[in-house]
Amino acid sequence: MRLSHTPTSSEELKPSLVPPFLAATLSLIIPGLGQILARTIRRGLLLLFSFATITGLLVWRFIETARRDTGLINIVKKGLSLEPALVILSILVIVFYIWNVVDAYAIANRSGSNPAGLLFLVIIIFFMLGWQIGQIDLVALITQADDAGPALTSVLWPWERSIEYPKDIVTTTAQIQIPCTETPPAPSGALEDAPYLLADPTCGTLTEFEGAPGSTVTLTGHNFIPNTRANIWWKDPIGNEFRQRQGGEYINITPDENGAFKIDIVLPYRLVPANIRDVTTIWEIQIRQVASIGDWQFSTELKLAIEKIIETIFIGMMATFFGILLALPVSFFAARNLMSASPITLGIYFITRTILNIIRSIEPLIWAIIFVVIVGLGPFAGIMALTIHSIAALGKLYSESIESIDPGPIEAIQATGANWLQVVVYAVIPQIIPPFVSFTIYRWDINIRMSTIIGFVGGGGIGFLLSQWIRLMDYKAAGIAVWFIAITVAILDFVSAEVRQRFV
Amino acid sequence: MLEVRHLTKIYDDGTVALRDVNFIVPDGEFLVIIGLSGSGKSTLLRCINRLIDPTEGEIIWDGVDLAKLGGDDLRMARRKIGMVFQHFNLVRRSSVITNVLAGRLGYTSSRQSLLGRFSAEDNAKAQHALERLGIEDQAHKRADELSGGQQQRVGVARALMQEPKMILADEPVASLDPVLAHSLMQQLEILNKEDKITILCSLHYLDLVQRYATSVFGLRDGEIVYRGTREEIRAMNDEEFKEIYGQEAERVGGGLQGDLLTANGGGA
Ligand SMILES: Nc1ncnc2c1ncn2[C@@H]1O[C@H](COP(=O)(O)OP(=O)(O)OP(=O)(O)O)[C@@H](O)[C@H]1O
Ligand SMILES: [Mg+2]
Repeated sequence: MRLSHTPTSSEELKPSLVPPFLAATLSLIIPGLGQILARTIRRGLLLLFSFATITGLLVWRFIETARRDTGLINIVKKGLSLEPALVILSILVIVFYIWNVVDAYAIANRSGSNPAGLLFLVIIIFFMLGWQIGQIDLVALITQADDAGPALTSVLWPWERSIEYPKDIVTTTAQIQIPCTETPPAPSGALEDAPYLLADPTCGTLTEFEGAPGSTVTLTGHNFIPNTRANIWWKDPIGNEFRQRQGGEYINITPDENGAFKIDIVLPYRLVPANIRDVTTIWEIQIRQVASIGDWQFSTELKLAIEKIIETIFIGMMATFFGILLALPVSFFAARNLMSASPITLGIYFITRTILNIIRSIEPLIWAIIFVVIVGLGPFAGIMALTIHSIAALGKLYSESIESIDPGPIEAIQATGANWLQVVVYAVIPQIIPPFVSFTIYRWDINIRMSTIIGFVGGGGIGFLLSQWIRLMDYKAAGIAVWFIAITVAILDFVSAEVRQRFV
Repeated sequence: MLEVRHLTKIYDDGTVALRDVNFIVPDGEFLVIIGLSGSGKSTLLRCINRLIDPTEGEIIWDGVDLAKLGGDDLRMARRKIGMVFQHFNLVRRSSVITNVLAGRLGYTSSRQSLLGRFSAEDNAKAQHALERLGIEDQAHKRADELSGGQQQRVGVARALMQEPKMILADEPVASLDPVLAHSLMQQLEILNKEDKITILCSLHYLDLVQRYATSVFGLRDGEIVYRGTREEIRAMNDEEFKEIYGQEAERVGGGLQGDLLTANGGGA
């Protein structure tokens, strides 16, 4: 395609079909028409197509920008006021339109007109449209970079998330007698190095339903974990546990720096079975505090990530393995030099090639989605997706290396009186092993890389964790996954380079 | 004795490469085929061991028509016909010894050859063949690590392993420099004289033809246009030689002249 109008000898011989003024008028009605009738058909068509495309896109941008408005004037007004880029674009399109008319005149007049400027204008317009449609926002890239800071830091150094301290709930109890009798239970004694809870008094009455509030008990605690929130729970005589509320709210206590606290609570309302309603019962009040016990250990996230990275590697491995297994026979059917013997085999060749091309043109992620639908979430779907893509990709590469083998050695071995099998073993296989090994390593590489993200669509492997953690905005955990992926891929690169060096 | 009768080869695209070719080669002959590029030399040689199927005609060798053979019979016949190629056609990534042993495939069962096992006798033969051609110290190198001259010796050794009664050599020295060309032709001559192997060889250089051929014929457009004995070819000068090549002789002759000079200088 040549937009440039260099008057060739034939064009000089044939004058324009229309006079300059008419050409200009025609281009005013339909851009490019004047040029076409002036016998610069390619230029005219190009102008026509670019003008049509540009106006179409521009109209779409206007409608898109002024989505809520109707009526031509309103849409244009709204579009121009909302998007300064549309103003510039509109001006450029008008310039383009006028230029096209002037160009038509000049062409028909055979006075020559340099198309470079026009071409440049078209390119500028397309570029601006692209900017608009792509919603390119360089400012956001800079101003919002700060927001990504914390997340990015977490991802870059997530390792504090790799360990955790086991937690346990420490429950400290005191007994309350309900209702009070002459002999209320004795308060538990003070302890040296374990938390203890004192209630005063150790008996009382419960809050009545829509009636009098229960009696107040002062709780004093010592040796609790300092500055760490604790909850108040009750255990009623039949063993049911419930949380203390006051005015409808759960109440929490936070011991001071010495691990001590003091709080007044009103005995709660609680419906109990009739048989114990009127007898004296012992209720248990509990202070529950979450405490770290023992040494650090690897965090759940780290363990999960390790589990899933292993799964990932095996997904890639199994897919490569199955891929090789099935691609090998397929590649023979897809090799033209082996299949050109008869029209039937040639037909098989074309069908195989076509199927392989179709399969290959569908991305593994799409295959994963398809297989998730068929076999459900998990690594199997991922393996299937990568396998089918590997078959197609390897089948093509293998068959091409079969096609490119040197027929010379095959003839030479045939000439010795060798049979078909011997020819394959001595002349064909030695020639295809190096490319096969090299393509297989290449595929294994791709499969591992793909298996790290196939989990994003439910295909199993570490990608599944990564997508979950990103959605939960747990960037530290996500960072662990990212690191694992990076390390795996780096090791893989190294290994495949080594293998390639050995075998190829 | 090899007798070719009415041999015609028409390729699928309609090219007539051989047109009613008739000739007889007595045992022990060193027959050289000359002819322009495209005259049908390769086609002729390949028809004889049926790498190409002739369209018509008979190829009678020891009373059997090779043109009619197929399957195992053809393989049995091929075992006794060695072939040496212009581009050596070695399995480049295999070792020299494997390439040479491949010459025994026709005598080895599928199962044994699948495992890469050749009899002790075959291994000894291979060793001997390599020694005869002076490349015994290259045995365990990869074929493509050898020089062109060495590779072609491997090719000859492979043919020799077949214990052939006839060797077809399609421009065996065309990829070699003149010195190597002479030494390889000498090897073939030794095989011809000592082992009584019939040799059919296509060549381009007049001095090689004059030096080694016991009989010559010239092909042009798939037809034999010249037949000469050893004496006749020795007496032939460049002008006559060019005549065989037809109208295009000038161009080919020019190149030939230069090649002849270097070949003579180097071979002397
Ligand atoms: N496979 C093929 N299909 C069609 N035509 C072929 C084929 N092989 C050779 N030919 C044609 O047959 C004719 C003879 O070819 P051949 O290779 O036998 O010539 P040659 O004498 O060996 O030439 P050169 O000296 O270049 O090797 C040529 O015209 C060639 O183009
Ligand atoms: Mg040839």
